[in-house]
Amino acid sequence: MQHHIQNKIYHVEILPPKQDSEKLEADLELFVNKYTRVMESGYCACITDNAMGHLSFQGTEMIEELELPVYPEQVMIHLNTFHTKENLDEILNTCIAKGIKYLLVVSGDGSERLPKLKPSDIGAEGVESVTSVELLKYINREYKDKFVLGVAFNPYEPEDHEFEKMERKLAAGASFIITQPLIEKNAVVDKLLEKYPDVPVIVEAWMSKKLHLLSEAVGYPIPENTEYDPIATLKMLHKVYPKCGVYLSLLSFKTQYDLIKDTWVNE
Amino acid sequence: MITLTDLERKEYRNIWVIAEVLSGEIQPVTHELIGAARTLADARNSQVWAVVLGSGVGDKAESLYAYGADTVIVVDDFRLSGFQDEMEARILVRLIKKYKPEVVVCAATSRGRALIPRVAVMANCGLTADCTGLSIDPENGDLLQTSPAFGGNILATIRCSNHRPQMATVRPRVMKAPEPDLNRKGQVIKESVLDTDLDKMKKIIEIFRSKETAVNLSDARIIIAGGRGMKGPEGFELLKQFASRVGGAVGASRAAVDAGWIPYAHQVGQTGQTVQSTLYIACGISGQIQHLVGMQSCDMIVAIDKNPDTPMMQIADIAIIGDVFEIIPEIMNEIPKL
Amino acid sequence: MKIVVCIKQVPATNDAKIDPETKRIIREGQKAIMNPFDTYAVEEGVRLKEKFGGEVIAITMGPPKAEAVLREAISVGADRGILLSDGAFAGSDTWATSYVLAKAIEKIGDVDLVICGKQAIDGDTAQVGPGIAAHLDWMQATYVMAVESVETSSITVKRMHEDGYDVCELQLPAVLTVVKDINTPRVPTLKGRLAAQKYEIPVWKPEDIGADHDKIGLKGSPTRVVKTQAPDPRKASTIRIEGSPQECAKALVRELRLRSLV
Repeated sequence: MQHHIQNKIYHVEILPPKQDSEKLEADLELFVNKYTRVMESGYCACITDNAMGHLSFQGTEMIEELELPVYPEQVMIHLNTFHTKENLDEILNTCIAKGIKYLLVVSGDGSERLPKLKPSDIGAEGVESVTSVELLKYINREYKDKFVLGVAFNPYEPEDHEFEKMERKLAAGASFIITQPLIEKNAVVDKLLEKYPDVPVIVEAWMSKKLHLLSEAVGYPIPENTEYDPIATLKMLHKVYPKCGVYLSLLSFKTQYDLIKDTWVNE
Repeated sequence: MITLTDLERKEYRNIWVIAEVLSGEIQPVTHELIGAARTLADARNSQVWAVVLGSGVGDKAESLYAYGADTVIVVDDFRLSGFQDEMEARILVRLIKKYKPEVVVCAATSRGRALIPRVAVMANCGLTADCTGLSIDPENGDLLQTSPAFGGNILATIRCSNHRPQMATVRPRVMKAPEPDLNRKGQVIKESVLDTDLDKMKKIIEIFRSKETAVNLSDARIIIAGGRGMKGPEGFELLKQFASRVGGAVGASRAAVDAGWIPYAHQVGQTGQTVQSTLYIACGISGQIQHLVGMQSCDMIVAIDKNPDTPMMQIADIAIIGDVFEIIPEIMNEIPKL
Repeated sequence: MKIVVCIKQVPATNDAKIDPETKRIIREGQKAIMNPFDTYAVEEGVRLKEKFGGEVIAITMGPPKAEAVLREAISVGADRGILLSDGAFAGSDTWATSYVLAKAIEKIGDVDLVICGKQAIDGDTAQVGPGIAAHLDWMQATYVMAVESVETSSITVKRMHEDGYDVCELQLPAVLTVVKDINTPRVPTLKGRLAAQKYEIPVWKPEDIGADHDKIGLKGSPTRVVKTQAPDPRKASTIRIEGSPQECAKALVRELRLRSLV
């Protein structure tokens, strides 16, 4: 992951089509186009796992069915706790078969349609519920040394709790961190960097102009500025966090993609 | 469908309540229904009849006079001891044909909701499910049935003008059971199971009645929910005790579930369950949008929190400012163990 | 075993927003999904087929776009899908709907088992399953939480009740309605979905199932909805309670008792 930061490799989030898509063929094509562009640019495609609890196709399915090429340094799959054990193992085995090594392990968002791992499924004892920590332990145990595991950090949740969780995540096998979207310098993220100078940290940049959506995603009210300029914010984040990588969410492939080849400037 | 002529419709009189019977005992919801039926019968100048089907119910039926039943039809037969929906449906259709009730109501319980739709189709009449309100239209005497739809986001008023009887299943604990008047008298009609009722008899292999009701969030009347303010799984143990005391279910915010303090099955909110309970007590939940979306339709929201200004404290009907760990035990002191 | 699963397309409720004025959920621009309870019915049908052999046929009564839920059923293992769609079916209440589905099941012929979800999340009536059983004059079991065993002419199931459960055996052919405890529905795979896209889904009309026009649509519906309204908006004011824990507790319990809540 350090090499991504040093080589200014953007992590570009791509969402697979939703299961209830009424134009599946078109959505599949769109995904292939985005993925291919990211590969050609040398960036890393980060494929989500039923984001926001919306039943979607899996990243591994997309890669397999659509026969997409995998360059191990350029693919990251999100993996959450809303799977049956069979499905979880299927995904992990497919990743290994395809050479996918970066996983972002999160608790995730559930919904009506999504099954949830039970502690007994993955040999977790003494816990009521499976979180990213138990999932990390499982992967580390059953699929030892096969993956590079990342975790999320939420600077908008109470600090003590987030830092305590981070300790447990790192102890369970995580080796890189991705933060929630930042629109400015964040004191809690600063603390994180201070506390873990050797852990690669990737900050998320919100590339959509719709700040109210960000508000909903992080769960706290963000005052609506008159104008939010995602590209300007991105440049600012590079300056303020020169030692961090950047994860781009909601990037517009139409209007913004061509601009980001010039944005990663650290001074 | 064949509709009734005006003359035919007028032949139907009286308000029937199908008693909810478990193991030979008439359940309290029956009294609620008789109370509601009484109001309807008074508006129609007619009688309330209770229909009791079961095994070993013979001597219990007359207890219903005290609540307002004028007549009780009893079918007491050992073959009705388990829940025999097909047999009961046959019997009810036969009784309806014979006695022509104008309205038939039944509790919207698992049994009622299995039985009455079958009866309605067999008897060619309309049925409204899970009603929270029943009244008589003063203009024409029709039954007006109010029933929630879209998970409680819409209230529909339904009428069945051309078919009789008008049938409704009624949500338990919505109507008020009247105070019993032990001086009230009535009459009993004994009817029986016929051989022709037996061709669709189920074989009941096992019956299990649990001491604690299996409460799930979507059907729960009371939900006690906890958030980050509960500080850990021990906090949820307290909530479980509280819930048990009031006959409620335990809910949770996403923060508590993500922290691993309580399983995901208890999560209320956008990426969890949407609930419409009668009472929602939020303990130490700040009330982020994603959570509020899941419980906004609850009839009464109570919030307990140290912080008086959280979104949850603002939308709550009753906001209690204080420490949940001190207040909840005191609330439990006020509510005696059953 | 020839199994028919009756499914329904309903508006989704997941994308809710709150109206700041009424503080109620705004239901706009709803996506259409398979009724959640029906996903359990489809899964159970597919599991029984995998265990005992046979065929699973998904049927739905709805507008043309309802064929999406049939494709979804096929993508998780149903063998066929049939859409019952015609202007004459519109306006059907549960009596008429269960009649149409029953006629379709008769037309399919030699059906051993019909499985429905407990209820649809829009109408919330839970009446169609037993209604189908009544129209067909078959046995029924509702709120089924497990299928214990299947023999040539009988099926044994566990039914859920508020106070526990019972286990009973009923004769086939029969109608079951199922609850969420019965299984964990598999999630469609992209592969399954792409295969399902290719299916030709037949559309049946009243003539195709020999339906009596007096028993379908508005004509076949004894109930009429005369009015719909939103529930009352949340009242704006909050009763605030402060003081010692004991005082707070007493005040709260008094308020709850006033409303017969405890």
